[in-house]
Amino acid sequence: MKEFHIEVPVEPPKELESLFLPIPKDYVEDVYRKDEFLVLVGPQHPGSGHMRLIVRVKGDIIQEVIPDPGYVHRCVEKIAENRLYIQNIPLVERPSIMDSANFNLGYVRAIEAAMGIEVPERAKFIRTILAELCRIGTHLYDAAILAVFLGHTTGFMYPFGIRELICEALVRMTGARFTSSFIIPGGVRRDVDEKTLRWVYDATFAIEKRLKSFERIFIKNPTVIARLRDVGVLSKEEAINFGVVGPFLRASGVEYDVRIVEPYEAYEEVTWDIVTADEGDGYARFLVRVNEVSQSLSIIRQCITSMPEGSHISEQIGDIRGSFFDKFADLVLPAGEYTTLTEAARGTLVFTIVSDGESNVPYRMRIVTPGWLYLRGFMESLKGERLADLQAIYGSFGYFPPEADR
Amino acid sequence: MISSLFEIFKSNMMQIPIIQPIVDYLMQIPVVNFIVALILWRPFFAVVIMPGLAALLLYLLYIVWFERKLTARVQWRVGPLEVARPIRGAIQALADGIRYFFQEAIVHREAHRPYFVQLPILAFIPILLPIAFIPAGEVVGIKSPYAVQLVVAFLALIPITIIAIGWASNSRFAFIGSIREALIYISYEIPFIIAVISMIYLYGGGDPYLAVEKQSIVPGAIMNPIAFLVFLITMLMATSRLPFEIPEADQEIAFGPFVEYSGMLFGLVMTLAYEKLYIMTLLFVILFLGGWNGIYIEALGDLNAPLWLFIKTVIVISILAIVRSMYARYRIDQTLRYSFSWLIGLSIVALVFGIIVGWVA
Repeated sequence: MKEFHIEVPVEPPKELESLFLPIPKDYVEDVYRKDEFLVLVGPQHPGSGHMRLIVRVKGDIIQEVIPDPGYVHRCVEKIAENRLYIQNIPLVERPSIMDSANFNLGYVRAIEAAMGIEVPERAKFIRTILAELCRIGTHLYDAAILAVFLGHTTGFMYPFGIRELICEALVRMTGARFTSSFIIPGGVRRDVDEKTLRWVYDATFAIEKRLKSFERIFIKNPTVIARLRDVGVLSKEEAINFGVVGPFLRASGVEYDVRIVEPYEAYEEVTWDIVTADEGDGYARFLVRVNEVSQSLSIIRQCITSMPEGSHISEQIGDIRGSFFDKFADLVLPAGEYTTLTEAARGTLVFTIVSDGESNVPYRMRIVTPGWLYLRGFMESLKGERLADLQAIYGSFGYFPPEADR
Repeated sequence: MISSLFEIFKSNMMQIPIIQPIVDYLMQIPVVNFIVALILWRPFFAVVIMPGLAALLLYLLYIVWFERKLTARVQWRVGPLEVARPIRGAIQALADGIRYFFQEAIVHREAHRPYFVQLPILAFIPILLPIAFIPAGEVVGIKSPYAVQLVVAFLALIPITIIAIGWASNSRFAFIGSIREALIYISYEIPFIIAVISMIYLYGGGDPYLAVEKQSIVPGAIMNPIAFLVFLITMLMATSRLPFEIPEADQEIAFGPFVEYSGMLFGLVMTLAYEKLYIMTLLFVILFLGGWNGIYIEALGDLNAPLWLFIKTVIVISILAIVRSMYARYRIDQTLRYSFSWLIGLSIVALVFGIIVGWVA
């Protein structure tokens, strides 16, 4: 279609100046001079999460999206510099409370790497179960958000109903629905008895059964497939270049999973498949996570059936009952920089602790969350799609602003 | 003059045997007899009581509750319960209505104030006018051989008020919502009108009496199933129900044209779609499900026809309520493509089918 330009004095609305937008001033004027439209989605919008998306649309087609994150920045890294190492464990879970065990695990493994603590086999298996339970919980949560972004309220309620089983399993194992702070340097806080493990084993089958009804109503729903297929496509090269991580990278056909590349905990001792897809569109990103849930259920079952006997905490730490703070309060890491890679539910999670070797608080702690890593790919995949697809792609990425902002 | 009016009312009163003794008694009291005669005057009864305003309000109370309850049952929830526990929260819609009524109605600075406030009320005119033309047996407001065409014409006015609401709101999301409303308006209106025309050809005229009489043995849904299907889908589109809840997609554009409304004005615009659904379903029942045909109960007399029409309407809407918990929302371009290819094609097939059946019969 041919465009005609007419020179009319344009005055962008005044309110755009007072909103402190992270864009140059002439950008707004440029948009208004062309036949384009600037839509500010969020931070108070049912489909934006805790962030603002500055969407430049031409007709119904998105030209460019500029993210304005940081509305839920909680200074986790800075607060961590003023707390004891052991007090940081509940703190690092907060960025993503759904995915708490994986965040906990990444931090604790950095400490263990610094101190050279060997973790007993039983603790490794319990940690793996916790991590996988949290992974399922996060994937279900993201599926629910995707469903409600597509206007499918039943698809919103079912995963939350299923997630109750995960929460119940976590309650029985750790005592809290999430953010249990159960993983500590050297192992886990308490041993998990046989009866509880049996319950979790049975719960995996209950989850699988309920997932079938979710599949009928949402995953195989023709309207959902119509909304997600061929939407927000990231090719293999693009996904690698934009630094997309986790299931979203695997949905573009890249077989990368930290659990395979640098195995930690009990992932070497169980058999599971790495789930990938080739399409790289919204539906592939969703399906990869759905299939990962069944892989995670299988990992949990294998962990429970082959759970080794032994202590739940390392010999180097000893019994922590009644002497938890005596053991851990004066933890001082040797000087140096310790980095761990963890496969959190939404992707690669990097924890770096810098210690000066004499204080009992970290000199610097760095968290690079998966949400922050794939924000670029998320924004790039929106280009050329329709305005209504903004929420569909948002949901297909499962972007979680508190996690990205830390 | 009052006595002449009274004579007019008395000459055309509803004959309901079951309440006849009470009516006879009330007719002897001086002022009350005038009111009773007015209420039971057939045109007044049709427009204000049933299937008119009072039935509409009753239906609104019921359908909001039923839809929420049904959706909750599908979604492993309980649904509204706390308002009137013994009757399972059945007056939840009333409670919400009272809340809307007393809430502050904010008119924001950018809005075109007169239109912003007037349009939700003006939108009721095209909703209430069709009721005057929809007959239920002998109970009818204005008898017209072109009633079906008139109802369709009035229905076509409703989206214009919604687009005007979006314009008066003067907000980005309201603007996008009005454009979506305009696009979807064109895309459903054409197949909808063709489907209705096919039924008019089938019955040989736009007279509801003729249509209902022709359906005394076989309902219109069986005589022209394609028009039935097209009408059903366009009804979902016209009343912006899922999967076509595009103009007011709350996750995408935050209720579209109605984004700036609050308080009582929001209560008014929120029920617009439900009222439109009611009118369309009345038309649907008359054209496809045999209208007021039903088992005649002697004791109810003239009330039979409106009651059957109302019951059929409510059943159809209750069945339609389940799509809300089954489907996700389509995109606007998908809906347009679907409607301009499949729906128009189907409606033209229905038209040919209707002409052939009407010609044979």
